[in-house]
Amino acid sequence: MKEGILKSDTRSMARAISYIEDGNAEIRKEILESLYPHCGKAQVVGITGPPGIGKSTTIGNLAITLANKGKKVSVLAVDASSPYSGGSLLGNRIRMQDALFTHGIYMRSLANRGARGGLSESSMGAVNILDASGSDIIIIETVGAGQADLDIMNLADTTVLILGPGLGDQIQAIKAGIMEIADIFVINKMDLDGAYFAMKDIEEILSMDDPRPMKRTVVGTSSIDNTGYTEMADAILGHGKFLEQTSSIGKKRFLMGARWILEREIGRSIIDPVMELIGKMGPDVNAYKLAEELVSEIKKNSITSIIK
Amino acid sequence: MSGGKYMVDGKNQSLFKEKPIKILLAKPGIDGHDRGVLVLAKAFRDAGMEVLYVGLLPTPEDVVETAVNEDVDVIALSLLNGAHMTVFRKVMDLLKNRGIDDIAVVGGGTIPDEDKPKLESIGITGNYGPGTPLSTIIEHVTKRATEAREKKLR
Repeated sequence: MKEGILKSDTRSMARAISYIEDGNAEIRKEILESLYPHCGKAQVVGITGPPGIGKSTTIGNLAITLANKGKKVSVLAVDASSPYSGGSLLGNRIRMQDALFTHGIYMRSLANRGARGGLSESSMGAVNILDASGSDIIIIETVGAGQADLDIMNLADTTVLILGPGLGDQIQAIKAGIMEIADIFVINKMDLDGAYFAMKDIEEILSMDDPRPMKRTVVGTSSIDNTGYTEMADAILGHGKFLEQTSSIGKKRFLMGARWILEREIGRSIIDPVMELIGKMGPDVNAYKLAEELVSEIKKNSITSIIK
Repeated sequence: MSGGKYMVDGKNQSLFKEKPIKILLAKPGIDGHDRGVLVLAKAFRDAGMEVLYVGLLPTPEDVVETAVNEDVDVIALSLLNGAHMTVFRKVMDLLKNRGIDDIAVVGGGTIPDEDKPKLESIGITGNYGPGTPLSTIIEHVTKRATEAREKKLR
């Protein structure tokens, strides 16, 4: 399977991503550890924004533009799972399908399977598989995002926030959260009334004191008029070049990957069984005190034997 | 609501631990009517499946390429225009040529009774028509998906 992935064989890539999604710890470990030396070359571009703003359509057009510039592009798109049935309607592909097939671009849909924050637990592993397959650019689309769905900032090298006309005034634009994490802003639906006002609002905010090392930009796009995608692609590639100069491509991703594995496995192996025990103990047990005692007990075990 | 296992508030996460069935719904060829397929898409979602619908007018090549990219368990083909013998068979041929036997293929639409055994013989099962209860379709898809999963684990 590893050989298949390195040769960019879509069947091997697709099956490997399924194994990651399955959450089989053994297989996940095997795949990700063996691929690690081949990862870290791709620029991961996160596309986030509210539902219905045009993320998927924009990705279809952006992917073609990048492919025409000679880049090997692949796409991951996360959609929401039902909190009632666990099912999901993976509806991103329908917006970009035609574009992708004519350019041989690999695209995979993922359901978030109850994860909060705009991504799925499998996103990090899936990105690494696409990275090892030789992609120059991996575009990852979040679930339609709210103000605090910020996971993408830890996975993507370049975070792009797509907004549109009618989403609010300058107060909305200086709110904390999702507005802060964007490296590039895109105002989509430039063919609609109010789009230029939305763009101006963001430009004004960016002209204020901005703590970022690289100046952030705003680009306007419209899928109806097919405009703005070259500017958007150039902004993304420009940011990628800046990251390369500071050799920070992939760094956040590996840190987040390690954190996700730690959180999930500690959660499943320690927190879940302890919670079950506490649940059975009855009302006279002080659950808070018990939890604090467990924490100090766990802290006594030294981790210096693993991390030298 | 159709056969879904409904979650209890506050205990939702455990349901995500088992792998949902992944199904691709497609109407390959010239057929512009997708009301039925949208009803099915929602019914499968409510039955706990991860559902892909790739829109109108995909070619058989698009359908197979999508199924491979997404690593689905089941491809559900639907046609109302009478071209099922040609187009469904094309999908099966493409799968065969790529050596893929671990994706189940089911059919549906307006398919005459005399065509159903012919479709069955090339591996396309179900072939349900209008008026079939959603629960019958979900049950059949679940059965075929389980078989496909077993082949994947070989």
